[in-house]
Amino acid sequence: MTQQTTTGAALELVDVTKSYPGQKSPAVDGLSLSVPAGETVMFVGPSGCGKTTSLKMINRLIEPTSGRLLLDGEDITTKDPTTLRRSIGYVIQGGGLMPHMTVAENVGLVPKLLNWDRGRIASRVDELLDLVGLDPRIYRDRHPRELSGGQQQRVGVARGLAADPPVILMDEPFGAVDPITRQRLQDELMSIQDELQKTIVCVTHDIDEAIKLGDRILILDEGARIAQYDTPERILAAPSEDFVADFIGSGSTLKQLSLLRVGDLELTEPQTCRIGEDVAEVTARVEAAGESSVVILDERDRPREWLFLRTLGRHAVVSEPTTELQTVVDHRSTLSDALDSMLVSSHGGAMVIERDAYIGVITYDAVTEHIRSLRVEAA
Amino acid sequence: MRTTALSREDRLLLFGLPAVVLVVLAGWCLWRASADLGDIEARALAWDAVGQLALEHVLIVLVCAVLVVGCAVPLGILLTRARAGFLAPAVTAAANAGQAAPVIGVIVLLALAVGFGFWTAVLALTVYAFLPVLANTVAGLRGVDPAVIEAARGMGMSPFQVLRRVELPMALPVIMTGVRTALVLLVGAGAFATFIDAGGLGTLIQTGIIMFRHSILVSGALLVALLALLVEWTGRVMELFATPKGLA
Amino acid sequence: MIAFIDSRWADILFRAYQHTSLVVQSMILAAVIAVGLAVLVTTIRRLTPVANAVSAVGLTIPSFALLGLLLPVVGIGTVPSVVVVTFYAALPILRNAVVGLQGVDSTIIESARGQGMSGSAVFWRVRLPLSWPVIMTGIRVSAQMSMGVAAIAAYALGPGLGSYIYTGLTQVGGANAVNYAVVGTVGIIVLALLLDALLVLLSRFTTSRGIRA
Repeated sequence: MTQQTTTGAALELVDVTKSYPGQKSPAVDGLSLSVPAGETVMFVGPSGCGKTTSLKMINRLIEPTSGRLLLDGEDITTKDPTTLRRSIGYVIQGGGLMPHMTVAENVGLVPKLLNWDRGRIASRVDELLDLVGLDPRIYRDRHPRELSGGQQQRVGVARGLAADPPVILMDEPFGAVDPITRQRLQDELMSIQDELQKTIVCVTHDIDEAIKLGDRILILDEGARIAQYDTPERILAAPSEDFVADFIGSGSTLKQLSLLRVGDLELTEPQTCRIGEDVAEVTARVEAAGESSVVILDERDRPREWLFLRTLGRHAVVSEPTTELQTVVDHRSTLSDALDSMLVSSHGGAMVIERDAYIGVITYDAVTEHIRSLRVEAA
Repeated sequence: MRTTALSREDRLLLFGLPAVVLVVLAGWCLWRASADLGDIEARALAWDAVGQLALEHVLIVLVCAVLVVGCAVPLGILLTRARAGFLAPAVTAAANAGQAAPVIGVIVLLALAVGFGFWTAVLALTVYAFLPVLANTVAGLRGVDPAVIEAARGMGMSPFQVLRRVELPMALPVIMTGVRTALVLLVGAGAFATFIDAGGLGTLIQTGIIMFRHSILVSGALLVALLALLVEWTGRVMELFATPKGLA
Repeated sequence: MIAFIDSRWADILFRAYQHTSLVVQSMILAAVIAVGLAVLVTTIRRLTPVANAVSAVGLTIPSFALLGLLLPVVGIGTVPSVVVVTFYAALPILRNAVVGLQGVDSTIIESARGQGMSGSAVFWRVRLPLSWPVIMTGIRVSAQMSMGVAAIAAYALGPGLGSYIYTGLTQVGGANAVNYAVVGTVGIIVLALLLDALLVLLSRFTTSRGIRA
């Protein structure tokens, strides 16, 4: 459609209203909004503010009572809703996967509705599973109930992307998973979005998620009245009214941790070693550097474990770690997520990766130092 | 089919039922082949006579089953569509009153109204077995997670595609349970077909009682019971196959 | 029709009474047996699937067939009616009682024991009251079914309104055939609905207010 670098499309809502019979005030009252192509807009607001209703009016799961919707300038209010929905991705809480279909069938749902041929669907499914970090060979033929909550959600995201729609709607996409998984999924979505540049409209009740993911945030009050529509930086720096200030909550310095990326800070580089190295040699090297812990890397430079020497000393050679790592963050993760990860670490820091490869360690001290400097700037 | 996922109760029924049916049927055949029967018994229990009655019985059950499924499932689908929802309370009320009606009463009344014969029996039994299939179709379709239906619509499935590819497959196990219940009811009620000259294994029971011949009576009762058990087992096997792999 | 009902008013009422009495008495017997069995099989866990399988298979056997199997053993009249009705009445109650008793939260039972309740006190004051709504649902299903089974059992000269239906059948073409069949059938429907209404009330009054829906 568009000849820009983005694959997204511009979306415009013009005076969109939804009123239900028997209710005094409309659920959405004359919402007008324009979303530039390739941007991520987060809808936030208290429950019952009409954010989900507004979202569902975009793919007309809820028919607007009045108003117009424009997709790249084309009026979609009068289009056949079934056809329309095939060109708009839809990702919902928990994934909303069809329990009786396999992962591949779920992901290939829309392409199949669009009558793609079988080979093209199959290769697209594998490509998307790869993109969301699920090995197609392992997961293709599984059923949703054989997956963890986070994996189901990944499949849900892949399904939303399947037919390469210019616009993707997300309704509380990460609301049903635990905090650590949520953070990972958010990071993955951000890197997917870096690559694809879709137009994403995402509903969330979590202001931190909105700050982290959004190019712009739409803060809605009762009846979907726009309280503020701006970039996260400006919403944090200058809330337009008390309602917004209350909603983003106190400690806006701390909220800015959701805007800063790990890569923005200087990383420290403790000693590293490889699986299979001789423990005595490693110990000597680490002690010579005046340190007490070491990061273990595998043959592809991926961090596998961060151990104290006394734990390492139990074996002759550095062995394959068996536990799953929790204290790894991507260099594009926010400082706020990095702090979460540090909480479960006994080293007061988290290992940082870039494209799966280890690039250093971010420490708690570095983060607190940075907060202090922000405060000084603000004062 | 993953037998490991079956409960102990299911396994008991799945493997126990056919065993019981086979053993009892073999026992009856042995008795029939070896017993020294009187003239009346020998005629009533002649192999081809019994075979003919069994065939009639199965035929009535099958015709009714096809009619019941063919009518009750579409009606159930209709009742669960938003636009026809207003019909549901009326149908539920009628169905509940219908459930309280004794089957023998329904058969006799219909026979008095439209005459004796095969098709009257079919009509009466179809009415009688209608409810479980209808109720289970409605319950099965209502039980489908609304979030999944909305996701399907959000993907761009047409209402018919949502019904065919999402709602029906997910409701199928529940619908099949209703069909099984209906089939078993039909075998039992089929025994009354003889009262209105529509044949079936009930004829043996009736003859046995009228002529006071216990061997005929018990043979009829036994064969009807075995047929019911066999149908129950078939229904359970079908249910297993009808359950989509991702559910169970 | 009105003249028919008018002239046989006393007989109809008497048969309705007989029908109800047969069903209610058999059901009381059935409930005691079924709940007793349910307690037994939920205590000895190995037996639970067996009991469920038995009640499933039992409900499969056609009532007319069971009646036929019983006649050589117990003869005709009231006895086979009672046996057949009790048999079918017991099965739904058994199934629901097992489900209900199993459904009682084990932490509640543990805490009852922890308060020092004896085994029988736990049963009468905790397990039975908590599973009662489920058992009552089974009793209602069983009542509906028993009404119909009692009608069928009338073929073996059992008591109740079922005999009117069979009379209608044998008098085909006669002036009163339809009258007999209608009074028998509709009478049983009315009785079934009345009994169900009574059971709904009974279930309301006997269910602890804390777990009422």
